[in-house]
Amino acid sequence: MTLRLQPVQVATGSSDTESLLVFSGEFLVAVLVRLSEIHGDRAGMWFLEAGFGPVEHTDSPIFADLDEAQSWVERRLESRR
Amino acid sequence: MPLAPNPHAMAMLIRKLESIASLSDEQRQAIERLPLRTHTLAARQDIVRDGDKPGHCCLILDGWACRYKLLGDGRRQIFSFHIPGDVPDLQSLHIHTMDHSLATMTKATVALIPHESLHELTLRHPDLGTLFWRETLIDAAIFREWMVGLGRRSAFEHMAHLFCELYLTLQAVGLAENYRCRLPIAQLDLGDALGLTSVHVNRVLRDMRGRALITLRSQTLVIEAWEELVRIAQFDPTYLNLERRAAA
Repeated sequence: MTLRLQPVQVATGSSDTESLLVFSGEFLVAVLVRLSEIHGDRAGMWFLEAGFGPVEHTDSPIFADLDEAQSWVERRLESRR
Repeated sequence: MPLAPNPHAMAMLIRKLESIASLSDEQRQAIERLPLRTHTLAARQDIVRDGDKPGHCCLILDGWACRYKLLGDGRRQIFSFHIPGDVPDLQSLHIHTMDHSLATMTKATVALIPHESLHELTLRHPDLGTLFWRETLIDAAIFREWMVGLGRRSAFEHMAHLFCELYLTLQAVGLAENYRCRLPIAQLDLGDALGLTSVHVNRVLRDMRGRALITLRSQTLVIEAWEELVRIAQFDPTYLNLERRAAA
């Protein structure tokens, strides 16, 4: 499965705006937001702002980099196949 | 440590009960005679656990505690925060198996009071039994407000509501004044109480600071704009049933 990433700005009501829409095929499955400097030592990491279907999670994880984020999203999608 | 009365420790419980009702001298003396055993605990230590059948109730003398429940994968929901004077597991007097856990959040001193002695107290002083019942009913009223917060309030409104609630309950037992209080709650704990991630907690706190509503620094909460915070949270303190109220 290949995920496609599309840069976008998200209005989170904070300085966390730099974001990526994550598509699996034609479907939007997640929105990842890059944590800004307000998050101290977590700045630069990626936060699962929203997940849809199997990617939805009540305790949204934070990923050190995009590879880790994509692997996690892929695993979630595969787990529900 | 031996089981013995400790009027100094019981003054905390008396102060708490007097925040929701008036006590007679006789009732105060009866409470002061309750035997107890004090313990000093480290931060983040369980006092009673889900499934335990405790033989005593725990009065907090110093520090903060919370009640919580863990899900199988480690996710945690905090139900309530507790301050000196609270008896967070008062229900164990009549519900024998704990259905949640109670833990310290900071270093804490607690007094354990045997159930037997509390039962005897309420038999000899039925009005105190009624007062303990009233206390657990107010506890339930606070849970109802938290339920509204978790289910229906926005993250911003929910946190604003919690700050209003904590300030008034601390003020009622003399632990807060001039819209300033100690708030030794880590962002992680705040998130587990509000059902928010630590990222959202951080964003909301910054937003509140940006709007000059509060500051939270070095574990001290300062409410800069009480009336505005109350308006945003739609906070009505009636459910706390406090005898003493903050000047609004």
